[in-house]
Amino acid sequence: MMKAGKRMTYLKLIWKINKGLTIFSMVFISLFQLLMLYLVTTFDTQAMLHSILNQMPENMKIFLNDSFFNMLTVNGAAAFGLNHPIVLALLAMIAISIPVRHISREIENGNMEGMLALPFRRRSLVLQLWFSGCLILGAIILASCISSLASILIFHDLTWNVSFHIMEISLNLWLLFVLIMTYTILIATLSRGGGSSGIVSAMITLLFYLLFFTGQLWAAFKITLPFNIFNYYQPQNIMFGKGNLLVDCIVLASLIVILLYASVFTFEKRDIP
Amino acid sequence: MNEGEIFGFLGPNGAGKTTTIRILLDLLRPDSGQVELLGLDVRRESFNIRKQIGYLPGEFSAHEHLSGLAFFKLISTIRNVSFDQDSLLFKRFDLSGKELSKKIKALSHGTLQKIGIIQALFHHPRLLILDEPTSGLDPLMKEVFYEILFEEQRKGTTIFFSSHNLYEVEKLCNRVAIIRKGRIAGLETLEVLKDKAGQVLEFTLTDTDKEIELPGAELISHEGTQYVYKLSGDINTVLKNLSEMAVRNVSISKPDLEELFMQYYHDESGKEDDLS
Repeated sequence: MMKAGKRMTYLKLIWKINKGLTIFSMVFISLFQLLMLYLVTTFDTQAMLHSILNQMPENMKIFLNDSFFNMLTVNGAAAFGLNHPIVLALLAMIAISIPVRHISREIENGNMEGMLALPFRRRSLVLQLWFSGCLILGAIILASCISSLASILIFHDLTWNVSFHIMEISLNLWLLFVLIMTYTILIATLSRGGGSSGIVSAMITLLFYLLFFTGQLWAAFKITLPFNIFNYYQPQNIMFGKGNLLVDCIVLASLIVILLYASVFTFEKRDIP
Repeated sequence: MNEGEIFGFLGPNGAGKTTTIRILLDLLRPDSGQVELLGLDVRRESFNIRKQIGYLPGEFSAHEHLSGLAFFKLISTIRNVSFDQDSLLFKRFDLSGKELSKKIKALSHGTLQKIGIIQALFHHPRLLILDEPTSGLDPLMKEVFYEILFEEQRKGTTIFFSSHNLYEVEKLCNRVAIIRKGRIAGLETLEVLKDKAGQVLEFTLTDTDKEIELPGAELISHEGTQYVYKLSGDINTVLKNLSEMAVRNVSISKPDLEELFMQYYHDESGKEDDLS
């Protein structure tokens, strides 16, 4: 009973502090999905596409793979809405800011000292922070998922198959960003405090994204793909029944568990300056 | 520390006071050695120890997005104790409901310090660890704070009082540890420390301002016809020698804590440690 009370208190604290950004992100991502699907369903994208392709040099056309053409369908646009760089950047910002704010900054401003002088275990702090972050990311992605389903229902024809694929993509997206949050927690538990852990985590995430992008374009970089976290998030493939969600989820979940264990271990051992 | 005492912990900046406190709280892990608090190992039983202590850090801070009230609700839930906004403690520190409903970031340093003191005290801890507790408090609030500390002591609370403020330490503490470069340089009751430091002889002569050899006493300072000596031998011999001089006035006293403190911080070369 007491532990449940403590857990709720810390969850409430984290929610209170991150409430503004979370609600903004939920609204932004929902509206973004709505806009994407509205554009695809109201414009004649096929005609636009043919017009562009006719004018495009042959060597440029190789950059346009199946996912580009799929994107211009309603289902493809729904999947792309969950993979758009703006959406990914916003989710990455939240996944990185939560550990930085609640570990690095709190070590720096002395709040962590006060918190750990209370009867509050270090591992509880890390696990509850992680759990809170999972809930916040889950709420934003759920809003995005509901908005996608609602948009298809409003502008097109919502089938069970599409609904299921959107839910699968949302799960996959959630796991990817929980992973980013988890390695940020590990970096924050290793740092001496301040915002540097956020910068390091953002650099790692951008590097993964750049390598994933180049790995898709050039054969020489393909070898890096199995080691890239973005390789285990394939919304277009899931939407068109080509991906292997189970493998992707197992890889992401395994990495999350390993990194979370490492974070708890590191935080238990470290000094709080 | 003995149970139920107010234990003063003195030292200049960088001497290791805050580091010691952080080791006691298991925030810092020592390279070697073992620390026990309330009969428990601070590494293995840290959680149980922290249940029984109240701590006020040197620079108290709290989550600035919370109101004072929300902050107390948070820590009372973590401590599993009830929280009463109308308790006497809040009244004595002149903290009204209006003040407590403000966000932490909007509070003055003094008000924040009051909140820090109350959060360390409100669950009636067995051991109270205070690091520079009166910084930011006005003289009236300091007096209230001293009264509360004496009341807590009478209830059996042990108080670990780390401070720069020698007046406070002298007023409050039963025993004092003086820390220098991470080591305890002196640990006694104030009376014993003063006795060990020796008595101070001060006198003024009427007719001479020369340096005087006084067997049984060491010259500390000499300015004009005023002399200050530290007694190191037989007092009767010193007084006998002094009676042969033209003395205008004389006094013998124990050193105050400040003089005592300064004695501990003169190193072998006669230089003082950084006391800034």
